[in-house]
Amino acid sequence: MRSAVVITGLGTLGAFGVGREALSQVLASGQPPRLTTIDRAAGFHRPSGSRGAFLLGSRDLSALVSPATARRMGAPSRMALAAARLAVSDAGILETDPAFAETAVVISTAFGPALFTERLLSSIFKEGPETASPALFTESVASAAASQVALNLKARGPSLTVTQREAGDWIALGEGARLVRTGRARRALVGSVEEMTPLLHAILDRFHTLATADESGEEVARPLDRDRRGVVAAEGSTLLVLESESEAAARGAKPLCRIVATGAGFDPTAPDNGFGADPEGLGETLRRGIERSGRRLHEIDLIASGAAGSIAGDRLEVLALATAWRAAEASLPVLWAPKSALGEWGGGHLAAAVLAVSGAALGPTHGYRTLDPELGVAPYDGRPLAAPKLCLATSVAAGGSMSWSLLEAVI
Amino acid sequence: MSPRDTIVVTGIGAVSGFGWGTAALWQGLSAGRHAIRDFDRFDHRRHRTHVAAQVPAPPDTVADAAGDTASLADAFAVAAADEALRQAGLRRAIPGLRGAGAGVFFGSSTGGMFESEGFFEALLGERGSRRLRLHELLSQPPSGPGDAVARAFGVRGPVQTISSACASATLAIGIALESLREGETEVALAGGSDSLCRLTFAGFNSLRSVDAGPCRPFRHLREGLSLGEGGAVLVLETLAHAEARGARPLAIVAGAGGSCDAHHMTAPDPSGVGVVRAIRAALADAEVEADAVSFVNAHGTGTPLNDAAEWAALSEVFGARAGQIPVTSTKGNLGHFLGSAGAIEAVATVLCLEHGAVHPTPGDGPIDPASPVDLVLGAPRAVPTDAVALSTNFAFGGSNAAAVFRGWPQAAGSPA
Repeated sequence: MRSAVVITGLGTLGAFGVGREALSQVLASGQPPRLTTIDRAAGFHRPSGSRGAFLLGSRDLSALVSPATARRMGAPSRMALAAARLAVSDAGILETDPAFAETAVVISTAFGPALFTERLLSSIFKEGPETASPALFTESVASAAASQVALNLKARGPSLTVTQREAGDWIALGEGARLVRTGRARRALVGSVEEMTPLLHAILDRFHTLATADESGEEVARPLDRDRRGVVAAEGSTLLVLESESEAAARGAKPLCRIVATGAGFDPTAPDNGFGADPEGLGETLRRGIERSGRRLHEIDLIASGAAGSIAGDRLEVLALATAWRAAEASLPVLWAPKSALGEWGGGHLAAAVLAVSGAALGPTHGYRTLDPELGVAPYDGRPLAAPKLCLATSVAAGGSMSWSLLEAVI
Repeated sequence: MSPRDTIVVTGIGAVSGFGWGTAALWQGLSAGRHAIRDFDRFDHRRHRTHVAAQVPAPPDTVADAAGDTASLADAFAVAAADEALRQAGLRRAIPGLRGAGAGVFFGSSTGGMFESEGFFEALLGERGSRRLRLHELLSQPPSGPGDAVARAFGVRGPVQTISSACASATLAIGIALESLREGETEVALAGGSDSLCRLTFAGFNSLRSVDAGPCRPFRHLREGLSLGEGGAVLVLETLAHAEARGARPLAIVAGAGGSCDAHHMTAPDPSGVGVVRAIRAALADAEVEADAVSFVNAHGTGTPLNDAAEWAALSEVFGARAGQIPVTSTKGNLGHFLGSAGAIEAVATVLCLEHGAVHPTPGDGPIDPASPVDLVLGAPRAVPTDAVALSTNFAFGGSNAAAVFRGWPQAAGSPA
C-alpha cells in the first residue's frame, strides 16, 4: 500500500510579514494587516473604486534571495523562491540534500508575472517591438516562478505551473500530492504566488471585484456577510514541502498534516469571467469526490472556505457546500473564512488551512456582521474550538472551476 | 505487467496552419508541406522576422460554439474538442456520463493574450477612458481555452490548465493519464490551445531565437524556431470504458514523464540529462524499453541549442540506435504552438500511428552532422501500426515532458 502524503514544511510571506509565525499571529487574532494604498497615478481606477490591497511592500527578502539573484527576477519569482527557502528550512531539509534531484515544483498563479508582462507590452506598443527586452520576456511567462525555484534549489523533478484562477492553488496541491503518491517525485515543493500591481488592481476594480469603502470609510472583505461588497486584493507566496509519510518518518520529520484527498469540479453555467449558477452541481461533485476518498462528510469538523467577500463567489461556494452536506444528511461544520484577514490570494488560504489543521489558534472572521438569509450560514466567530481533526478546504473560481482538499491532523 | 488500466485515445481534433480539422492536418503533414509564411494576424512590419503559421479563417461548417466573447485560442480549443468528441462518439454524452465523469486537462502559454493586447493597446492610447473594451480581457488567462471547452460541452469534473511554457500540453496529457488511472475521471479531454500574439512574437525575436524563414529542425544551418498557432484535443478513456460503449481506439497513451533541467531560464542543458530523465520516466511509466521505440516526434524547434541538446538526450537514451530511429518534427510543418505544442504533436503522432507512417519534416539544408538524427524527409516513412512512438517537449525554465504512444492495429487504414 502506498504511503500517505504529508506536509512537512511551510513557508509563507505576504502583507502580514515573512514566515509562519507572522501568519499565525494574524490567524489567531483574526485581524488583517494594514492595507496599502494602491498607486492610482495610471488613471485607470474608477474614481469611487477600491484604493487598498494587502501588499508585501518593501519587505527585505535579501536573507532569502540575494540581491545578485533577485536582480534577474520579477516579484513572483522572488516571492516564490523566498517562500520555498522558508518551507525547506521549516521542513528541516538542507539545500544540499540530494533528494532535490527528485523534487518536483508545482506552483499556482492566477495572474502570473503581471508587472513584467505590463512592462513588456508597454515597450512593444509604445516604443516598438524591437525594444522588447529578453529579460522581461523570460520573466513574463507564467512558469517563471516555478522555474526559478527549481533552478535555485536544483529541484530536478517535474516542474508544473497551474493556472486555474482561484481554484489553482488547491489543484496544485493535488498535483503535487499525486506526483509524490505515484512515485514520480520523492518530494514536491507546492504552492502559490501572486503579485498585485496597480494596473491589475485597477482592472479588478473595473470588474467590480474589489471591496470599496463602506459607511465607515473602510475597505473590508466581509465573507458570507449580507452586506459584503467584494474581495480585498492581495499578494504573496506560500510554498509547502510534500513527501510520503514514510519518508518523513525515516528522517524524523513531524508532519504538519496529512493530505487525505484532493479534487476539482466545474460549473459549465459559469460565464468566462464570472461565477456559475449551479451550486447543486458543484455540491454533488464535491460530495462524490469526498466519499470516493473513503471519508464521510460527517467526519469533517472544519471547513476552511475560500469565501473572500465576493457577492457571487461566496454565494456559490456556500450553497455548494450546503448541497453536499444536505445530501449526506449532515450538518455543516464550523465554516472559517481566512481570506477575511488575508485577502483574495490563494497562497494565504493554503497556509491558513494547513496551520489550522496543525493546531494553530483561530480568531474570528474579520468584518462579519450580519447573516445573509440566502446563505443561512455565519462564519466562525472565534468561540473556543476543539482542534480540528479533518479540515476541508474549498475554493471556487471565476470561469467555472472549483477545487478542494481534505487535510487531516497528524496526532 | 501491472494491473493498471490501459488508456486509449478514441478521438482527436485539431486546428492548425493547415486548416480546421485533422483531415487537413494529415493532408499537410503527410505531404511534407509547411504552413509557415507571411501572415496578417497583426502588423509585424517592425518585428525582426515576418513569417508564422497562422490558422486560416474557419470554413462555414465550423460552428462558433465558443461564444461571442471567445478569444481565438478559445475558438481553436472548442473546435478541436468538438471534432475529437464527435469522432469518439461523445459529442452529446459528456454531461450524462455517470460515475467520475469527464475532465479537461489543458496546456496553454498565453490563452487570450492576443485579445488582451487589444485592450492594452487601447489603454495606452486612451488612458483613463471608460471606453476600453473590458470584454477583451475576459479570456485572457491561460485557463481560458480549457474553461471554454468545459463550458461548451458541459464538463463537470476537474478542469486544469498547466502553463509551463512549451511543455504545458504534454504535462497536461500526463495529468489526464493519471486522472484516468486513478478513476478520478472516466473520460478526459487532453490538449491545448494558443494563438499568435505580439508578446510572444516580440519576445522570441528579442531572444534571437526565431528563424527569418521557415524553421529547419535539425538542419546544419538552422537559425531558430517559427511560431505557429492552433489547438488540439485528444479524447482519452480507459480501454474498458471505450469497449463498454463500443468506441474504437485510435491509439494507446502508454506513459508520460517529466523533469526539470534546473540549469538556465532560457537555454537547455546542453548535456540533455534533464531531457533524458523525462524520457526515461515516460518509458518506465509505459513499461516500454528504449529499444521498442519505433519513432520520435521530437520537440525539434529548430533552434541551434534545443536541437543539439535533444540529440544529446536521444543519444544517451537510445545509444547506437539514436541515429537510426525515424525522427520527425511537427514544428517544421506548423511552427511552434508554445504551450499547446505537445497537444498538436500528440495528435500528429496518433495520426502517424493510425496511418502506419511517420510524417516528413520540411525544411532546407543538410542534416547537422553534430546532431545526425534520422530525420524523415520527403515522403512518409512506414512504421508498424502497433509501433511505439515517443513525443517530447521542453520549455523555458527547463521543464521537460515526454509521452509514449502505442499504435492500435485495428485503427490502421481508417483515419479520421
